[in-house]
Amino acid sequence: MTFLSDYPITWDMDCQGGGERPGVLLERLIGALGSDAVKTAPEDLAVYSFDAYTDGGSPTAVVLPASTQEVSAIVKIARDCGEPIVARGAGTGLCGGAVPIVGGITLSFARMNRILELDLRNRRARVQAGLINADLSRRVAPSGLFYAPDPSSQQISTIGGNIATNAGGPHCLSYGTTVNHVVGLEVVDDRGEVFSTHLDDTGYDLTAALVGSEGTLGVVTSAWLRLMALPETVRVCVAAFGDIDSASEAVSAIIAAGILPTALEMMDAVITATVEAAFHAGYPTDAGAVLLVEYAGLTEDADAAQAAIHAIAMRHGATSWKSARSEAERAALWAGRKGAAGATGRIAPNYYTQDVCVPRTKLPQALCAVQRAASENGVTVGNVFHAGDGNLHPLLMYDRRDRKQVAAVVDTGNAILHSAIELGGTISGEHGIGWEKRDAMTRVYSTADLATMGRVRDVFDPARMLNPEKIFPSGARCPEVTPQ
Amino acid sequence: MKALEGRVAPASAQELSEILACCDSAGEKVTIVGGDTLSGMGLPPQRADVTLLTTALNGVVRNERADCTMSALAGTPLQSIATLLATQSQFVPIDAPQARSATLGGTLAAGWLGPRRHLYGRPRDYVIGSTVVLADGTVARAGGMVVKNVAGYDMSRLYVGSFGTLGVLAQANLKTMPLPPQARMFFAPLPEHTRARACVQIAALAIAPAAALWIDGFRAAIGGDDGAEGRIAVLLEGSAPALERATRDVRSALGRAGVPDTFVVDAGARQSFERIVDAYVASLGERSITYRVLKPVQDPETSAVAVKELARHFGLRFESIADVMNGDLLLRISASDSRRLGAKLENFDDALHDLEPRAQVVACAHPHRTNLQVWGAPPDALEKMRALKARFDPNNTLNPGRFIGGI
Repeated sequence: MTFLSDYPITWDMDCQGGGERPGVLLERLIGALGSDAVKTAPEDLAVYSFDAYTDGGSPTAVVLPASTQEVSAIVKIARDCGEPIVARGAGTGLCGGAVPIVGGITLSFARMNRILELDLRNRRARVQAGLINADLSRRVAPSGLFYAPDPSSQQISTIGGNIATNAGGPHCLSYGTTVNHVVGLEVVDDRGEVFSTHLDDTGYDLTAALVGSEGTLGVVTSAWLRLMALPETVRVCVAAFGDIDSASEAVSAIIAAGILPTALEMMDAVITATVEAAFHAGYPTDAGAVLLVEYAGLTEDADAAQAAIHAIAMRHGATSWKSARSEAERAALWAGRKGAAGATGRIAPNYYTQDVCVPRTKLPQALCAVQRAASENGVTVGNVFHAGDGNLHPLLMYDRRDRKQVAAVVDTGNAILHSAIELGGTISGEHGIGWEKRDAMTRVYSTADLATMGRVRDVFDPARMLNPEKIFPSGARCPEVTPQ
Repeated sequence: MKALEGRVAPASAQELSEILACCDSAGEKVTIVGGDTLSGMGLPPQRADVTLLTTALNGVVRNERADCTMSALAGTPLQSIATLLATQSQFVPIDAPQARSATLGGTLAAGWLGPRRHLYGRPRDYVIGSTVVLADGTVARAGGMVVKNVAGYDMSRLYVGSFGTLGVLAQANLKTMPLPPQARMFFAPLPEHTRARACVQIAALAIAPAAALWIDGFRAAIGGDDGAEGRIAVLLEGSAPALERATRDVRSALGRAGVPDTFVVDAGARQSFERIVDAYVASLGERSITYRVLKPVQDPETSAVAVKELARHFGLRFESIADVMNGDLLLRISASDSRRLGAKLENFDDALHDLEPRAQVVACAHPHRTNLQVWGAPPDALEKMRALKARFDPNNTLNPGRFIGGI
């Protein structure tokens, strides 16, 4: 966790090709897009100066393009004027990925939110980057289809933002993350030229390189996405455990038994109590931890899987077991789970979400380390996470007006990162590196590893004008990291 | 360091690094060979001073059964990985032809796509980490041993399908899946009037088959009765109750399409499927060429019929495998001897690409191969790809000219 105020950064203009004055920038942007699509008032800029991370910087201007051609025009103008560009979806990212660090243009996709094409026969859709994730599943549900990646933010987060972070969600356990569902991309490059990628194209898999690149390799304007058939049966069960250790042992045992639920989510007592107070979702409030298990598929398989998971849960000390009996009960349980982070407003004015991933059998140790780090720093922690993937999301509660609390949260977050790495894990499972975690990259990768990633950046954005100061550690500045 | 010549077989990423650094600085061109099962794809390298064999990079390095992850050196044969995983009821759905010889690294480098990908995903989606050695000797790791990881660019997926032109894969970490407990294979001869309906019916089944392939020819490679007008092979995988229901659905779908007979293989169902996958690169030496068309739309049987007509016009023998679930098409064109094939090959290649611009060569031993459009239509982002190659391998040391657009 890094705070912007601690790092006075100046944009290195030597990296840039241009150098026209700021007045010219605004004049040209308004000329290309109309004054309605260019925002410069301080109150407008303030709205775009933070995301779901605690910290951020202000853009020079915010633009709202309505087409790929307009995005292209913006990039060309930015390039001429030596201004960096930060593409932005809904700003739900947790790592400061969508906030400008060195000013420049924030490119909002709010006006590019349409489904462009539906190819139901081949189960694909072409959508603009600003489309809200949940809108796609809602639109294709009458045809028996859905879009699988479902981050908890899906009611508001955009496909473009999901692509930037390779977003996950509870159902990634069986369906995979965003990259598994992107068939092709339309991208505006650092020169303002448009190119496309497709999985079936011969050549390098540029789709894979772009997904998860956090807007540093190009501006994705639209995507072909894969749709899946809705399962015929969905079972949702809740198992309660006395403590988080036995719940994590049960998770490891389910995975090791070769059962592949569609979701395997865990909430600890802190979160369960908060969720129940806020949503009355139906979770037991007297448990040390609860597991939310979903199995989707054929009815025959769902029966067998449910019985097997029930048996494993009981063997690992489950104190109660409940199956949702109706669609309404299922929806309530899921609404509680997906609203868990927001519900923590009942505990503290602010929360900070850490996102680490460990090998699944290391869950008990990882959770133990989280607890230890929190108590050592006197921080209240709630755990709500994708247990089946080993993807932890400790929520650290604090009041950002209290600098002592902020410092304690920073220390706790760092200790959690450190313990995840020690356990053979990684520093981000699904939210990205952004601004926040870039310096921690050196803890998981060598200089040579990072320099190799830097070679990709050199090709797509040699001037470092696309979302600068993100992903790569602060030492890895323009012109580039060189291999050892 | 003195330049190398001939064949080298490094046994570690460190040795591989020393060899590549040495070749790169001496201007020696390196060609990389795994199990030599997919060397018919694309073009042969323009120059090969050193042949780098991955045979000594052999073995499973980590097997985390309970985590459902594993890691193996690039030269490990896929069959040995599959055998090990099967003992713990797991698998990785790569579907490589000739899996006994095919190596993990070679198959990933070739970006091979098998018939079960519509159900289980692409091989690239199982690669969670990698160790790659770049042309200058840099040893670069990416990803790790966790199933979700967004720390930095997804380099591992980028190397999959790069034909060793960006770097040499030394080790790959994989996510594994629970092995479906049962498998069943259906074969049914498809009279012409039933073909289109049968394919549509099978593609629309509520329980998606693991694979469904309409096969015309390949009698020697696959065996069994191929019917005069081709046959469909349907692989079902899953639990016993799921298979029971899927079996009824398949029979009734084929029945509705007017297909008279269905044959079921239970014992050895997966072996039957593997024989079909092997046929994808089964070559008749210099008298055959095999193309593959990876199509974004599902209409493979119509395309197969059109190409068959074209082959007939050229007086060439035609065999095909149409992937009903994924929409791609495999075409083997042959003549009675190399000379007869050679006389028509270039004109046929042009005509085929008018019909199917994306057709690419996957198996060809004929000397005219270098005159053909082996990669089909270039992708939109070819210039970006050339720039990537230049940044990763500025001296063009690795597999020069092997890939699309002279990369």
